[in-house]
Amino acid sequence: MSDTIPSGFTLPVQVVEAGGVTAWLAEDHAVPVVSLSFSVPGGASLDPEGREGAAALAAALLTEGAGDLTANAFQEAVRDAAISFSFSSDRDEFSGGFRCLTEALPEAVRLARLALSAPRMDPTDMERVRARAIAGARQALENPRGQAGRAFWATALPGPFGRPPGGTAESLASLPGELLKGVPGRQFHRAGLLVAASGAITAEQLRETLATLFGDWPAGDPAAVPVPPAFAARGVQVVRMESPQSSAVFGQPGLAVDDPDWEAAGVVMRVLAGGGFSSRLMNAVRVERGLAYGIGAGAEPVAGRSVIIGSVATENARMGETLSVLRAEWARMAASGPTDAEREEAIAYLTGSQPLSFTSTRQVAGILLALRRNKRPLDWLANRPARLAALSREKLAEVAARVLRPDELAVTVAGKPEGV
Amino acid sequence: MPSLTRRAALATAAAVPAVLATRAPAAPPPSAPAIAAPPPIPPGRPLFGATLWRMPNGLRVAYVGTRGAPVVAHYLFYGVGSGDDPAGRSGLAHFLEHLMFKGSAHVADGEFSRRVAREGGQDNAFTSRDVTAYHQTVEATRLKLVAMMEADRLRAPLFPADGVEPERAVILEERRQRTDSNPRARFREAYEAAMWGAQHWRGRPIIGWADEIRAITRQDMLDFHQRWYTPGNAVLVVNGAVEEDALRRVVEDEYGGIEGREVTPRRRAAPSDAPLQSRLVRNDAGVREAQMLRSWIAPSLTWGRNDADREHAIPLEVLAHLLGGGPGSRLHKALVQSGLAVGAGAGYDSDDLGASSFGLYVTPRGDTAPAKLEAEVEDQICRLLDQGVTEEEVARSKRQLTAGALMSLDGLGAAPRLLGGALAIGLPADAVEQWPARIRAVTPEAVMAAARSVFTHPSMTGWLLPEGVRAP
Repeated sequence: MSDTIPSGFTLPVQVVEAGGVTAWLAEDHAVPVVSLSFSVPGGASLDPEGREGAAALAAALLTEGAGDLTANAFQEAVRDAAISFSFSSDRDEFSGGFRCLTEALPEAVRLARLALSAPRMDPTDMERVRARAIAGARQALENPRGQAGRAFWATALPGPFGRPPGGTAESLASLPGELLKGVPGRQFHRAGLLVAASGAITAEQLRETLATLFGDWPAGDPAAVPVPPAFAARGVQVVRMESPQSSAVFGQPGLAVDDPDWEAAGVVMRVLAGGGFSSRLMNAVRVERGLAYGIGAGAEPVAGRSVIIGSVATENARMGETLSVLRAEWARMAASGPTDAEREEAIAYLTGSQPLSFTSTRQVAGILLALRRNKRPLDWLANRPARLAALSREKLAEVAARVLRPDELAVTVAGKPEGV
Repeated sequence: MPSLTRRAALATAAAVPAVLATRAPAAPPPSAPAIAAPPPIPPGRPLFGATLWRMPNGLRVAYVGTRGAPVVAHYLFYGVGSGDDPAGRSGLAHFLEHLMFKGSAHVADGEFSRRVAREGGQDNAFTSRDVTAYHQTVEATRLKLVAMMEADRLRAPLFPADGVEPERAVILEERRQRTDSNPRARFREAYEAAMWGAQHWRGRPIIGWADEIRAITRQDMLDFHQRWYTPGNAVLVVNGAVEEDALRRVVEDEYGGIEGREVTPRRRAAPSDAPLQSRLVRNDAGVREAQMLRSWIAPSLTWGRNDADREHAIPLEVLAHLLGGGPGSRLHKALVQSGLAVGAGAGYDSDDLGASSFGLYVTPRGDTAPAKLEAEVEDQICRLLDQGVTEEEVARSKRQLTAGALMSLDGLGAAPRLLGGALAIGLPADAVEQWPARIRAVTPEAVMAAARSVFTHPSMTGWLLPEGVRAP
């Protein structure tokens, strides 16, 4: 490979510990901003059957009044100090965090502690936020992309992980207040808690922050997170709805996050379906045939495993052709893997773009948290270019053949598609 | 300001340039001799501290030397957008933006993005009503490469004839995806057309009407490029790990040799005195949740019914926050906290070229009768005009609007987007650099004068409703 490939830029990462909680910190005082992110396993997968959206609704309620601050008072304090809080519940984890100016860090920590330890969940606020969530859940199904995604996940992972993490209009309406109030107790445990921080915060400040935010959390094991089922979607599923364009969500089983071939599969997917214009799918579907505005796919981790998922939208009459092109490209990659030139370009991109991930505190905190979630060592990024460079074309072809299953590529289409 | 990016959201999220997390800093009135000098505002510390210069060929350059990761963001803005599309050719500015990726004198078709990716960078472009911008984020030593390629397509794009039809199909799919398959977007498009006129520069969709996208020719694009894509109508903004001297050399080497042409003045026809329609009601079988819009024609930093009108632009930003800027705002209290609506707010952009609009939006809660909501909104407007605003409310809005301004330093994207957007529509850099100070200087009297400059004129009300629900 040419010597123009940059090395794997990364920021020095400190490991900071306080009160039984460790955090990864990329300290950088270039701009007066701090980002902190955390996650715990669980999330929507712990919502009882028929009670989808409980964790997500509770997450939204954390910043709607806490301690002696009413919802209004809490929101005013947040906005006076320009703190941006994010609490959410995904398929397999509960996550949260904030971004703020360094001068507002004490206020952000005070409010975050209140939100995590003493959310009020007053009845009127609960009903107000519930109504908003119900409207959002209904709006999400107004377009074909929302319908296709909903149906795809339900078919692909039947059970807790296939449900909409934000709930449905029906489930949200049925959530008892006591269930919502119990969410922090079910989700928040120090076991499994991952924390990352970035920006203008010292290790000492982070230590204090960890103790303040998480010191009171019980140590014990989190509620058992279910094991994801085998990928179950097959063939083509159509959700009929009135629309001039059909939207397709497609996918197949992916590797476990700790699979030794995980990074090699990432290179294969970059060539087949990655971002930008360089992928085979983008070229075949958009550039050559003008079938769609965009197409792409990648691995989405779910509780340590993953689903390869992608999407494309095209006018109803051309969905059949689009899916044919998709399947042909999937099969071609499975059969012979990337070419030498494709291999080199993909690795050059994945290596060279590494510094781009370190240009904002939120990105850095997010990356550090993702590394921890996937159980990567501290030097993972520093050594990544060397690992990628060592992947031969033959190895990538072998991994493409192992991972890609053109015959099992499942598709959910919403709209009025023809020829599928 | 709405804008269209070239790519679907499928693109990898790893290192997309940051979008602005604080409220978008807007801009002050451009200096024009006809306008009485505004009261002096004590200047604050400039937000980005950009260095500005102009090349002999007219290209303006703004440089922000953010340190941190060895990365630079390179943005080239053109002072042209969908608002400049010729009559009957809506969508031309955006179509041309797509074709700019199809090669130039020294860069083959498709090679631009491929080359950027090969060097570990990311590139994209967007078209708004007022500007078209092309941007790349790359490891710092790749700056010269992207400047060379960007300059090449400013100078001599190919617009290959055989690339036009596939790209037209892509754009029609983009339109179907963004607008035609989304009932809210369909309604918003119809609403703007009803308010301003389907052929008015503000009433046409940025992506264009479908039949006009179909009518655009390659010659249209060549003419449009010839007219607007010239150094004197462009603003280059670079932010990141590069020294000023080194940047000056790169800019001189890559852009300096491009011949300047006369810059076409931009025309933004004044709107009619009132919205063309006062009401638009649409029942849509695809819609599950109703929505109400109400909007007024409003002054901007660049346009007013009279010269004094433009002085209202910055106070209108404070008014929009006070009235509908989330929890704690008047509309939120009156409509959301009261249980009538699940969402309510106000929207206003001061940094538009030409007339702006001041808009309110409400999403009703459950079965709240539309008539009741409409009456409550009207009541809030009347109360504001009759009883005014308090010192405390204004102080709160100014505090909350400006508290997070420095967060825009976190990431490389905000400075170019804000500075390039302002400079490309003729506003001075201070419109961005001194935005916090200008907001802080707004008085309650100025807010009320601004409110009267908008709310005493006719408005338009729109309802998007599920089938079978009656509008008031």
